[in-house]
Amino acid sequence: MKAVARLVWTYFTGTLVSRVFTSGGLILMTVDFCILITQPRSGEKLWLAMLGIIIFFVGSSLMPLMFGRLARGHSAGVLPGGRFKLLLSAYITILLVAIPVGVLAPAGTLSGDSSIPELMKDPRIRDYVLQLVGIVFTSAVLFAGWMYLAMWFVTSQRNMAGLFKGLLVITLVIFAPAREIRDLTVSLTWNLQQIAVIWSVFGAGFLLWPRFKAARARRNRERFTGVARALAGKTAGREFDVMLGTSNPLLLLVALAFPLLVATRFVGEFPAVWLYFLTFCCVLTGAYSSLAAERSRALWLRGDWSRSALFASVERSVWRHNSVVLGVLLLAMVGIGEYAHFSARMLLASLPLLALGTLLSTYLGLMITRGLRWLEIGYAIAVMLMLLFMVRLVARENADLGNVFALELGLVALAFLLRFIARRRWTQIDWMMCRSGRLVAARDA
Amino acid sequence: MNSSTVEASKLSKAFGNKQVLQDMSFGVSPGDVIGVLGKNGAGKTTLLELMLGFTPPTGGAVRIFGHESYSLPGSIKARVGFVPQQDELLDQLTVADQLRVIASFYPRWDSALITRLCEEWGVNLYARIKSMSVGERQKLSILLAFGHRPELLILDEPVASLDPIARRQFLEQLLSISADGERSIVFSSHIVSDIERLANRIWILKEGRLDWQGDLDSLKESIVRLHIRGAGAELPAMAIPGVLSLQRDGAFATAVVRDWTPEVQDALEKSASVQIEVEALGLEEIFVELHR
Repeated sequence: MKAVARLVWTYFTGTLVSRVFTSGGLILMTVDFCILITQPRSGEKLWLAMLGIIIFFVGSSLMPLMFGRLARGHSAGVLPGGRFKLLLSAYITILLVAIPVGVLAPAGTLSGDSSIPELMKDPRIRDYVLQLVGIVFTSAVLFAGWMYLAMWFVTSQRNMAGLFKGLLVITLVIFAPAREIRDLTVSLTWNLQQIAVIWSVFGAGFLLWPRFKAARARRNRERFTGVARALAGKTAGREFDVMLGTSNPLLLLVALAFPLLVATRFVGEFPAVWLYFLTFCCVLTGAYSSLAAERSRALWLRGDWSRSALFASVERSVWRHNSVVLGVLLLAMVGIGEYAHFSARMLLASLPLLALGTLLSTYLGLMITRGLRWLEIGYAIAVMLMLLFMVRLVARENADLGNVFALELGLVALAFLLRFIARRRWTQIDWMMCRSGRLVAARDA
Repeated sequence: MNSSTVEASKLSKAFGNKQVLQDMSFGVSPGDVIGVLGKNGAGKTTLLELMLGFTPPTGGAVRIFGHESYSLPGSIKARVGFVPQQDELLDQLTVADQLRVIASFYPRWDSALITRLCEEWGVNLYARIKSMSVGERQKLSILLAFGHRPELLILDEPVASLDPIARRQFLEQLLSISADGERSIVFSSHIVSDIERLANRIWILKEGRLDWQGDLDSLKESIVRLHIRGAGAELPAMAIPGVLSLQRDGAFATAVVRDWTPEVQDALEKSASVQIEVEALGLEEIFVELHR
């Protein structure tokens, strides 16, 4: 138990920042609790406690990070009962974070009413209050557990997949309890059942993972005997794209689908917001090409291309990827336009704008052949400001379509200019300078 | 037709104001196995990447199979293999997929060789690259450079992450590749014993210059330790040509010198009336002495 206690203590106080957050959260919660139980009609002061709870939760954010590191490293496997203690420490942390919610939320609801002590003598009311505390506490346990899981995904993977998994968990957390509250289906029993199932499944999976891994390695070793069979691949015909990372537009689409899905809950029928949002998605799609220069290094020695021919091949590959995503976003724009009642003229002006977002950012990305420098950042900011201006213009009901199209033509010209710069940079591309880290390594070696 | 694999003349490279390489001239012929030695920051990686056209020279030129390296045609690139210092593997793929992706770029990919090496080196074809150790990734990088049986193989610190057994297997493989005398290998390494074992020529880089180039035997004959004994109680004053380090102790002195020849020895023994005993040095000692 000493090891578990030490782990939990470290989760909350491991760094100066976590110590500040943990103690700050505790102070805020204590102060608010005192206010709630001493001041009449103080329920509206619950925001202080909510702030304290959030700060306290952030204070424990070392937990998913440490849990992930220890679980993946050797120490959890080598130390006696390491995995079990680690799991226990995580569960205790979740409970600790949920306790203040379970205490403060009912206190806030019942505070300031002088008749409460009298009413509590009634066993039915007492049961109701206890039921309420139980529901709030177990809901908080569930919520905190999911949030830690999201944090774990984001902090342990630190890439698009991790971010996506984290966001997916957050979406589930946002959607599922909201539905329960709306439908009034939440109950203590249901919460307890969920906790029991989730914790058992997660715990069993976590504890049995090393055995599963060993079994999988054994199976792989057995399969390994068929070498020739393994060399029958599944990426035939798109090797260039695989090397460049543009072979699978579906990944980006899935990543973009998530915020779009969330936005449908919040944005509603505001055309300007939708237009801004989708333009931003289109810009993100194009920005993916900023990785091309660095990745093309591995292609240089593997084909009959000069630097300019390589640029042409890279450009084609990037567009094969981006045009799929852009096509889907344009379709989404039409669908959303229908849903949000866009006017026909707005839809007509916004579709080219989305395409321009991808076009401009694609060439901005391809221009990055020497790492991200102030010059490129300046270009990017300027382009984003122009696009924002266009979004505002297009979203106006009384906007002159002629002016809009003229300005869009101006942006097309700008895209050609950016392409010209990108192409010129690629004809002199220096792969030692593509990434600042590589430059340092080159200088050091 | 040009018979040299690589030819460089007055090659220089600067990053901004920092001069990394200057005035380097060298050649690589078929059958050469060249070990590139240099301290950190001496410019080894820059030199190798210049040879491959990854970066343009700021002065001079380097040609591979007679073509300017900065604008190599595909036919020449197909004759070159490269193992970078930092691997360029695709983490999301399995080993088999990565091998197949790279193989698709080469019309003459030797699948039989790669299959054999995978088995010998214990490379798991089903392993996902992101789950592989640094050493396993290095093995795979080397396999990718071998597959098309390149005539010029350039390796930047290829064995740094390998365990002793994998290192031995790799060196044996390199030896067998170079055995036909038609291929050239240029590799940099900090493991001097590997270079000593494998290389027939050595390039030593120092402060951006090619401080020494030649075959290993010549290097060992040229840079030696001298044990000097005078006739009297004190050694007479004398000028030792090419001295790198000198320690005097009464009638005795120990010196490490470069460009040593029997003629220089005869002349010194006669002019200073001393007896000189010559001790050969290992490559590591030579490297250290050159960098004192």
